[in-house]
Amino acid sequence: MKRFAALLLCLTVLGGCSKDAAENPAAVPLRVWVGDQADIPWMEQVLREFRAAHPDRSYDIRIGVQNEGDAAKVVLTDVEAAADVFTFADDQLNSLLIGGALMPVTEGADAVRSANTPESVEAATGPDGQLYAYPATADNGYFLFYNSALISPADATTLEGLLDRAAQNGKKVAFPMTNAWYLYSFFRGAGLQMQLREDGVTNRCTWNATDAPIPGVKVLEALLKLAAHPGFVDADSDAFVAGLKDGSIIAGVSGTWNAAVAAQAWGDDYAAAKLPTYQAADQAVQMASFSGFKLVGVNAYSEHVGDAMDLAAFMTAHDAQVDRFRLRRQGPSNIAALSDPQIQAEPAIAAIIAQAPYADVQRVGPKYWDAAAALGKIIVSGNPDNQDLQTLLDNCVAGITAPADQ
Amino acid sequence: MKRTAATKESFFQAFTRGDAGVKLTALFWGAGCLVRRQTGKGLLLLLEQTVLLLCVLLTLPFLRKLPTLGTVQAERIWDPVARRNVWNDYDNSFLILLFGVICLLLIGLYLLKTLQMVKAARQAEQTAAVGGQLPTLRQDAGRLLHQDFHRTLLFLPVAGVTLVMAIPLLVMILIAFTNYDRSHLVPTNLFTWVGLDNFRLLTSLANSSAFAYAFPRVLGWTLLWAVSATLSCYFGGILMAMLVNHRRTVAKPFWRTCFMVAMAVPQFVSLLLVRNLFADVGIINTLCKQWGVTDWLYRIGAIPTAGVIPFLTHPSWARPMILLINFWVGVPYQMLIATGVLINIPRELTEAARIDGANALQVFRRITLPYILHITGPSLISGMVANVNNFNVIWLLSRDVYVTTDQQLAAAGATEVDLLVTWLYRLTQDQSNYKMASVIGLLVFLVCSALTLVTFSRITGRGREEAFQ
Repeated sequence: MKRFAALLLCLTVLGGCSKDAAENPAAVPLRVWVGDQADIPWMEQVLREFRAAHPDRSYDIRIGVQNEGDAAKVVLTDVEAAADVFTFADDQLNSLLIGGALMPVTEGADAVRSANTPESVEAATGPDGQLYAYPATADNGYFLFYNSALISPADATTLEGLLDRAAQNGKKVAFPMTNAWYLYSFFRGAGLQMQLREDGVTNRCTWNATDAPIPGVKVLEALLKLAAHPGFVDADSDAFVAGLKDGSIIAGVSGTWNAAVAAQAWGDDYAAAKLPTYQAADQAVQMASFSGFKLVGVNAYSEHVGDAMDLAAFMTAHDAQVDRFRLRRQGPSNIAALSDPQIQAEPAIAAIIAQAPYADVQRVGPKYWDAAAALGKIIVSGNPDNQDLQTLLDNCVAGITAPADQ
Repeated sequence: MKRTAATKESFFQAFTRGDAGVKLTALFWGAGCLVRRQTGKGLLLLLEQTVLLLCVLLTLPFLRKLPTLGTVQAERIWDPVARRNVWNDYDNSFLILLFGVICLLLIGLYLLKTLQMVKAARQAEQTAAVGGQLPTLRQDAGRLLHQDFHRTLLFLPVAGVTLVMAIPLLVMILIAFTNYDRSHLVPTNLFTWVGLDNFRLLTSLANSSAFAYAFPRVLGWTLLWAVSATLSCYFGGILMAMLVNHRRTVAKPFWRTCFMVAMAVPQFVSLLLVRNLFADVGIINTLCKQWGVTDWLYRIGAIPTAGVIPFLTHPSWARPMILLINFWVGVPYQMLIATGVLINIPRELTEAARIDGANALQVFRRITLPYILHITGPSLISGMVANVNNFNVIWLLSRDVYVTTDQQLAAAGATEVDLLVTWLYRLTQDQSNYKMASVIGLLVFLVCSALTLVTFSRITGRGREEAFQ
């Protein structure tokens, strides 16, 4: 039965293919993947404008949905069968490069470089200095949300201030400590490094440094103290949303994807700001962060690379980015679009711009995530086995810097 | 067909003793038939041989590259005028592996067929020599619907099993001996044979590989899980069935239906729901906090952090919880099976026991349980194997929720609640580490087959087949 079904499927697919080709032989077939079902109306609008801008060519463009978070995974599973144009989160640039899936921007790269913010261009640039993708948004990082009815802007500048205010009110400040993406914030803020090596897969990490101005152990001590604070709660995105809704969380670190929920829960008291400072080794340390960009890539194995590049450039140009903000509330990477007062008035986008000087482009090898998450979990659990702090950091660094495929 | 004078001969004997027709058959399959004027059959065989040889020829280039799995790296040249990429004739290691294996199988099939053909030709020669009648093509075709009907019936299943099971399985097994991983993804990169290196990563204690640390731990929990999950559901099911079927239980169909409903809800739905119920910010935690249960547990030291019961987030809580939730999900099914068996226990047995003065417990131990064990033994084994591979329960309950505090486990991408199969999934899906996933897959297979063999021989062994007949 299964075979019969498979055979039937093959026949239908074959039939489908031949029919398409017959329909309009001159049309250029392109497939484009957007990140979310909700992006489709925006994409359709872009496509209408794209066709209007290229009246001399005929296109047969299909829109597919593929979450930006695992676009690389899906593309690399079968590059030759993946979409011609796809959207992905900038942290996957390296995996895509190693898999050879990305076509360098060979036409109009300088125009893309000058139109977008330097950080977003950096995120789309490979280790060889070539531009490999088109920046589409610049709002994929994290920042601080707070309820201004209970927390003053001054309190929101220090983590201690936030935690104390929360504890006084019997509320919580949420931070996803067990998520490696956020944990980076503390160590990087204190001047410790965690970067991708030149091979593009393994990491370099100095979190266990003893000779740094703020040694790793001091950061860990500070984190253990923070996690034990009565105003602190380790909360993932779901828990953060739950806490916003039931009112138990009055501040937290998250990204634009939760901005609508926060705005709804706190109403006019919804405020966003850059990340606060925290106390480590008796000094105030500004928390760093990962910036995040959505990029549009062109499949190097596409049969129609030229047309695919035209489309990718068009869907990341100024007008398309402004439309993207209007329809999807996603912050642009285009410099001209960013100067739009309406866009700057958005608290989340203003917070991202304020955090930008302390944000790093995310270039992380695969071994980082589980090893750092384990450290985060140990911090949240209050170091249950009373392990030596330096040993904890050494183990964590050993995990982070381990060869990628062992 | 009359098998006159057909003594059993080996291929070698058949070939040396046979006439020119037989000898020629080793080269051209239809030759023997053509010599003996079975023209239709001869031509058909020649056609079959040509098709098979063509397939071999088509896949031969891949076979030739199989020893290296390809040497030509993909290279792209941008043609600015045509605005497209020009690619070199690059090797795709995966296709080489796949079609190389297919080519080997085809060659094997070809050789096997040749042996058969020569023997058949020799047989036909002997039949003809004693004046026997050789079958016509129509008669041969007719055989496929009568004497050889089993071949006709089995042709599709066998072809299907080879295509969708055997070949992919073989390729997957071979991947365990290559370096197919994130840095060697096709078609841009090539992968190659590495011998037993991947297995060394798992087993060797000499190097400090994270896999060598994680593997025995994950394997241990997998076995513990398989045994406890299977037995708990099994005996829970029997117990429930006996309760529901007890003579003093009223509204039996109602209770049975209740359990049916629990079974009818897809696991995906119920498990995700349960995961949310028991989450750190879930409703059960909220209720426990309100009722003071959380504080009490904290005071007696049962939970590590105040304010939250880490149902699914702390190893010492998550493992029993997952077993418990699996019990809840799995009992209805076992109960239904046990009900069917219980209804079929011969009344005489239990009545005789009662008359002999046995109490309820003795009846259960001496009659009911052995009877049920005997009937459902094989399903107990399959349940055990299914639990070794019970992806759903573990994955749905721990995904995005459970973070390990064991730094060395984390370095291997595993957690305390991972089964071999969920670990394997993480490796392939999150890390594209196909080589290690393949190694673990092989070991899962070994564990499952060992479990099956041991338990099966214990349950059906020692003449117990006859025990209840």
